[in-house]
Amino acid sequence: MTDELELKFDALAVGAFKSVGRPVARREDLRLITGKGRFTDDFNEPGQVVAVLVRSPYPHARINRIDSDTAKQMPGVLAIYTGEDCRADGLGIISHSPVPSTRSDLKLTAPGGGAIFEGPHALLPVDKARHVGEGIAMVVAESHRQALDAAEHVRVDYEPLPWVADSAVAIRDGAPTVWDEVPNNVCVDTRFGDTAATDAAFASAAHVIEMEFPIQRVTATPLEPRAALGQYDEASGRYTLNAGSNGAVTHKRQIAGALNVDPENIRVLCFDVGGNFGTKNRVYVEFGLVLWAARKIGRPVKFLATRSESFLSDYQGRDLLTRVELALDADGTFLAYRASNLSNVGARIVSLSPLGKGAPLVTGSYRIPAAEVRAWAAFTTTTPTQAYRSSGRPEVIHALERIIDTAAHRLGFDPIALRRKNLVSSEEMPYTNAFGITYDSGDYIKSMDIALRLADWDGFEARALAVRERGLRLGRGFANYVESSIGAPRERVDMTISPAGRVEVVVGTQPTGQGHETSFAQVTADLLGIDANAVDIVYGDTDIVAEGGGSHSGRSMRHASTAIYGAIEKLKVYAIELAADVWGIETQAIGYGDGRFVETGGARRFDWFELAALEAERAGGGDQRGLRISHSHEMHTPVFPNGCAACEVEVDTETGFVRITKYVAVDDVGRVINPLIVDGQTHGSIATGAGQALWEQCYTDPDSGQPLSGSFMDYGIPRADEMPSFITAFNEVPSPTNPLGVKSGGEGPTTAALAVIINAIVDALRDLGVDDIPMPATPFQVWQSIRDAQG
Amino acid sequence: MIPLQLKVNGEPVAAEIEPATLLVELLRDQLGLTGTHVGCDTSQCGCCVVHVDGVALKSCTLLAISAQGSDVVTIEGLATGATLHPMQKAFHECHALQCGYCTPGMIMSAVALLERNPDPNEAEVREGLEGNLCRCTGYHNIVRAVLAAAAEMRGG
Repeated sequence: MTDELELKFDALAVGAFKSVGRPVARREDLRLITGKGRFTDDFNEPGQVVAVLVRSPYPHARINRIDSDTAKQMPGVLAIYTGEDCRADGLGIISHSPVPSTRSDLKLTAPGGGAIFEGPHALLPVDKARHVGEGIAMVVAESHRQALDAAEHVRVDYEPLPWVADSAVAIRDGAPTVWDEVPNNVCVDTRFGDTAATDAAFASAAHVIEMEFPIQRVTATPLEPRAALGQYDEASGRYTLNAGSNGAVTHKRQIAGALNVDPENIRVLCFDVGGNFGTKNRVYVEFGLVLWAARKIGRPVKFLATRSESFLSDYQGRDLLTRVELALDADGTFLAYRASNLSNVGARIVSLSPLGKGAPLVTGSYRIPAAEVRAWAAFTTTTPTQAYRSSGRPEVIHALERIIDTAAHRLGFDPIALRRKNLVSSEEMPYTNAFGITYDSGDYIKSMDIALRLADWDGFEARALAVRERGLRLGRGFANYVESSIGAPRERVDMTISPAGRVEVVVGTQPTGQGHETSFAQVTADLLGIDANAVDIVYGDTDIVAEGGGSHSGRSMRHASTAIYGAIEKLKVYAIELAADVWGIETQAIGYGDGRFVETGGARRFDWFELAALEAERAGGGDQRGLRISHSHEMHTPVFPNGCAACEVEVDTETGFVRITKYVAVDDVGRVINPLIVDGQTHGSIATGAGQALWEQCYTDPDSGQPLSGSFMDYGIPRADEMPSFITAFNEVPSPTNPLGVKSGGEGPTTAALAVIINAIVDALRDLGVDDIPMPATPFQVWQSIRDAQG
Repeated sequence: MIPLQLKVNGEPVAAEIEPATLLVELLRDQLGLTGTHVGCDTSQCGCCVVHVDGVALKSCTLLAISAQGSDVVTIEGLATGATLHPMQKAFHECHALQCGYCTPGMIMSAVALLERNPDPNEAEVREGLEGNLCRCTGYHNIVRAVLAAAAEMRGG
């Protein structure tokens, strides 16, 4: 499939796009700006009751007994369920399929090479609580307040056990064991790369720089807390779930597994989703529990997480300890790179995407001929981690771009010149890196030049002097990035062109704010040669959407546009046969262009809708919907969005306060379908990274193992007055791997943001002796780093 | 249950409420006005901002009974018929929303901001929206939209 499409790519590239590439304002906005969005909690059903979870207050505790007798007698209480009830009813576990599995993913294994023990995810546990906030029992009552009151009276006899929150501690001898099956907590341990070549290069290097970076744990905090509404229809035996996610189809399958029912008896509905960023990609226990409870009680059951619950039990992000070494020769040529990446997966493995995606990208945008990475992971008594905006890549790019800056300053190279010297050039594309991963395309040096110009890099000294006169310091930072977009390989489109002049496109991937209804319509319209306003995009109901991989890993536009393209190519063949039949001529005598089928050398022509009318007419009493086509495709070839960022920060050395005063992002997302939407993705993506660099941290109290970041008052997501306006530009290099030339937007800018901001802060403070600052670089941390540097 | 009378989006409303009912619960659960959202439980996110007697307030932090006799405007009441409020129009044109969850509260706060200061600069807009969190836009296009709406409203 992919090979076939590659051949056709040139033809598409020269074709005239009418809507693709234009900043079309979104059609989904109208409902959202008038209060008519359809978010999960906006749905209510007659007779609906409310579920509340009893959550563990301990990071690690054996569950000896659960006494709910008192709670069951309380007003409005309908049922209280425990892990034993789930087990007795034959419920299964949530199968997260956490190991990345496309053909191009490096294969992660257990230590010694075997299958990975994931830590089974029952809807409610029977043995132990393995993190604070893990659901232990569920109360269902007539009202939310009644359920909350009863939950307080569910008495759980916990036996607190030793806990461990830090992955570096969890791997030590004698650390508390999270799962008996993995006594030392190390659940993954895999090495990639050429050890001998790397060792040899290090042995011969003129310089070796070594650094360690804890990439702290953060949480996505989409502003819509996770929610679920479950229904069961006794007559049909079917379950219906409303829940926000990145793709209802995957959720349907996984929930069916957890409930031990046929997937066809599950319908998942997902319309507007109030942000995701990775955390809603994976199934939550409440999704299964509300469906199960709805069947047992015979009434619809709703669960709505509070923000505090979200902080405790949303799957979290990052938490990687990475130790890296860079070998250089005397003139600054990069020779080799080593990395040890230890991931904290939390209480069970929900996803190994971050570890797996980061590992083969540790050498980033640079020509580094020899490299080795150890990718390993440990269980801890913390909330599980999952892919978070730009899964795994910001972590490794942070380490790389920080160590390059450090090498430049320690060895006396200009940091820009050192990068330029070692960047993979456009002539080397497609470039295969030291792990055998092939970067499809890009012009990294051009992106860097654009960014330096937009940032007025050369005018820095004058600005820095002016800032000094105000008693502050100005620092500047730079970072390149390359990231990978792979994701679930299959996607499907069902297209109907109706005699009434409308095109319906049913697609399996799910937007969570990315504007698919607008941008997919742009693509469809241009490929059909029609007006985008005639196209309706349909998603979010598994009774309509048969198949689809969901939005993650920057896959949606690439997969959807490729599936739409494939569907239309198939439909063209059929349409030409139809026209040939009607006109009584050979198919070779019919040409197609700009939405019209034309008789060669004749006057007869049809457009799509006329053919749809003919098709309906011919159907007689049969299917009169018009031209219809289904197309599934499978695409395993990854693409490599890339780019860079430059920024300036003002630092107050007295208070440690940091303000970003300039931020430039240059991104190669491949073909830009809608620049308004992609720019918006860039802005948000920068803020995601800035939050991690400066404020955000899921902090665990080292004495008690208690998470102390439980609300927006003690977890610092970026606010309007802390962000600058951004300067953004595209360096659009279409990918040769898919017909539209799409790479991916929305994750790349996060990938560069951590490093570029820390590089800038360190630059401002370097003459005070500061050569690194751990994230988040809060005022206290910056102040402390200055103090530490000065002894 | 206690009786409550108020105006919501220009229409008189009479309701029977539990004493502890929050204004946002009245709006969402009893009146079906689900455009007003709840994104946190500590009055930080601003997803629930509505106007009460012309003042932008976080409806998650207000007992419904305290709006007795008040004039409440929610996102559903901002447009005039089919004509969007200039702030709604600016949010659309400037792509100031992505997932749309913070948007109703953000728009209601921004409208109130311009009532206090019809000609704000960028820093004033950013400071004025400090009580509304957005995780999608990095605020860039929200700030652009508020400045664009301010210009249009001053012009009109």
